[in-house]
Amino acid sequence: MSKEIYRSRWVVLAAAALMVVSLGALGCQKAEPPKEAPKEPILIGGIFDTTGPTSDVGADYATAAVDAVEYINANGGINGRELQIEANDYAYKVPQAVELYKSYKDKGIFLIQGWGTGDTNALKEQINEDKTVYMSASYDSLLNDPAKTPYNFYVGTSYGDAIRGAMQFIADTWTDTSRKPKVVFIYPDHPYGKAPIPAGKAMAEALGFTIGDDQSVALNAKEAVSQLTNMKQFNPDWAWIGGTTASTAVIIKDAAKLGLGTKFLINVWGFDENLPKLAGDTANERAYGMAPFTFFGVDVPGMKPILEMHQKKHPNDTHTVRYIQAWTSMMVMWDALKKAETLDGPGIKAALEKVTDFDTGGLTAASITFTPTDHRPNTTLFIYKVDAEGKQVPVTKATLERKPEWLGQ
Amino acid sequence: MAIFQTPFIKFWMVVLFAFLAVFPWISKPVNSLFNTNTLYLMNLIGIYIIGAHGLNILTGFTGQISLGHGAFMGVGAYASAILTVKGGVPFWIALPLAGLITAMVGMVFGIPSLRLKGLYLAIATMAAQFIIEYAMRNWTTLTGGSSGMVVKPPSFFGITLNTDRSYYYLIYFFVILATLYTKNLTRTRSGRAFVAIRDRYLAAEVIGVNVWLYRILSFGVSSFMVGIAGGLWGHYVRVVSDEHFGIWLSVQYLAMIIIGGMGHVLGAIYGAIFMTLLPTLLRVPEQMLTEIWPNIFVIISSLREGIFGLIIILFLIFEPDGLAARWHTIKNYWKLWPFSY
Repeated sequence: MSKEIYRSRWVVLAAAALMVVSLGALGCQKAEPPKEAPKEPILIGGIFDTTGPTSDVGADYATAAVDAVEYINANGGINGRELQIEANDYAYKVPQAVELYKSYKDKGIFLIQGWGTGDTNALKEQINEDKTVYMSASYDSLLNDPAKTPYNFYVGTSYGDAIRGAMQFIADTWTDTSRKPKVVFIYPDHPYGKAPIPAGKAMAEALGFTIGDDQSVALNAKEAVSQLTNMKQFNPDWAWIGGTTASTAVIIKDAAKLGLGTKFLINVWGFDENLPKLAGDTANERAYGMAPFTFFGVDVPGMKPILEMHQKKHPNDTHTVRYIQAWTSMMVMWDALKKAETLDGPGIKAALEKVTDFDTGGLTAASITFTPTDHRPNTTLFIYKVDAEGKQVPVTKATLERKPEWLGQ
Repeated sequence: MAIFQTPFIKFWMVVLFAFLAVFPWISKPVNSLFNTNTLYLMNLIGIYIIGAHGLNILTGFTGQISLGHGAFMGVGAYASAILTVKGGVPFWIALPLAGLITAMVGMVFGIPSLRLKGLYLAIATMAAQFIIEYAMRNWTTLTGGSSGMVVKPPSFFGITLNTDRSYYYLIYFFVILATLYTKNLTRTRSGRAFVAIRDRYLAAEVIGVNVWLYRILSFGVSSFMVGIAGGLWGHYVRVVSDEHFGIWLSVQYLAMIIIGGMGHVLGAIYGAIFMTLLPTLLRVPEQMLTEIWPNIFVIISSLREGIFGLIIILFLIFEPDGLAARWHTIKNYWKLWPFSY
């Protein structure tokens, strides 16, 4: 009796199992698309800083790059193929960036969205050997001469041009005829901070400015009193700040505390929506920013997809101009990927070098053009300032000549 | 070869060497498992093993703590970079020279060990760390300042070692050399002197060990090895800048030998493997999650550092003698199994 029960149980169980399996198989068949299997997605690599010393500006940049991939795929991808990004944090440490690069290379990735000046410069020889297109968030002028770095691209006005534009702006707004302006350069002792200084000094000398001693303020500085006390004796009219937002806010606050009358011209990574929040009203009428990009939420045509994406994915987050920077880089890359004749490093490079007057929809101060002999995206940027009410408003646009001798400088 | 005594050990050593020899050719499938370039990781591990052996000789055998080994590694890296780039010296001469230069620097900063012990010596060597770091950053004409130096991959008689695979063999040649040397060192007069100093330096002096000489010697040998590691590292990553050789690297080296097991030759190896693999292994779940929620990676990557710290703390609580001791326990358990009491 009991045996029979067991047996029948086994039969029921077996039947049930069979049903499950066959249903599963049916389900699978249904799930399969009617047309041919989709092509493999195109994989790109991302090397970002979301935990390191530049994470104050890096996290938003990384978010935008990931969002842009979703936007690209929702809008047709790359000629029907999906785009996929492998985004990783490298904490602003060069060896980690090298490790990530090597692992990307191993997966056959030929296109990378990268980050800092130090690591991009460290990798430039290897990417050249491997023919990997590397789009960095570092706008170091050293990287825009294709004779030396043929596979490096970026979409923001170079640091060299930004600092020249800043010096030009000082000269243009200078009204005192009795003397020339006095300037000081404040920057972190870091490749990003040091890169544009020679260009800035050359320009300042050419314009006849008096240049004071350089001051070094680290990216993770919590105070800058000693450096600014040194600077106070020279009492400059203008000072260049070549750090990121957090350290810039520290400098401006301490300058206000010491009663300095100096005004500050700030490089792209030190001037964003967070600056007035961090520096409070000490930044008002004191902080001027060199801005190749439009700020987040400004009413221009190129902002529309960004705001849609923002509404859809994270409506409660706040974003900064860093989002726009990464987004622009991704859009230029998308354009090149669509037009590339071959999907490999040299193909993308050739396609990028055909980018002429790429319309960013007002996201940048000027359209973007690359040529095989010149990787400067443009030479025009906005100059913003923090006004008396703490709002960031554009003051003017600085445009520099595309001088051949400034290539790679 | 008397260090490999039983047939059992001999057999497993052959297996290990065979594995090391063929690993570069079978690393591809392993890569997809860990979602990273495992050959690169193996190379890093190799370099850290050489450095950790060095610190182990100083801290594990001679009982002198050093918080300057990160900077000493930097000295090695810069020395071989400067010699090859600016001096035009071929790599195979520059590398041992870099080791000797580092040994010299290490011995100079080891002089305080004559008078200082324990925590005081740790602070003195930490000073070395900061002095060397400052020099690397500010001696711009020699070191290139904060932009660092770009280094060429080494070439031997026309063969350029610019791939992970070719470099792997170079690194593991030195790893095996360093391991054999460390293993043999404990059986020599110097090695015994080191251990005698560690266990009771007064007694060592009484029985005729020249404490001062052997302390400095220990610093020299130790720095030499970490200098070689630095030179190998520089030519592998191909960029040398002061950022990589901060106090964090010194702490990491100490963590390696503490987690691995101080004073055990195998300890340095386990420690180097553990400290290099852990951050990468922690990245695996992160990448799995980001495939589902792409935006989460910003949050998770900050969590990773915290988990890393937590695992190390747990390790120190539950296995204070290091991985090498744990390995011993396991081995003994199975040796006596099933009568393991």
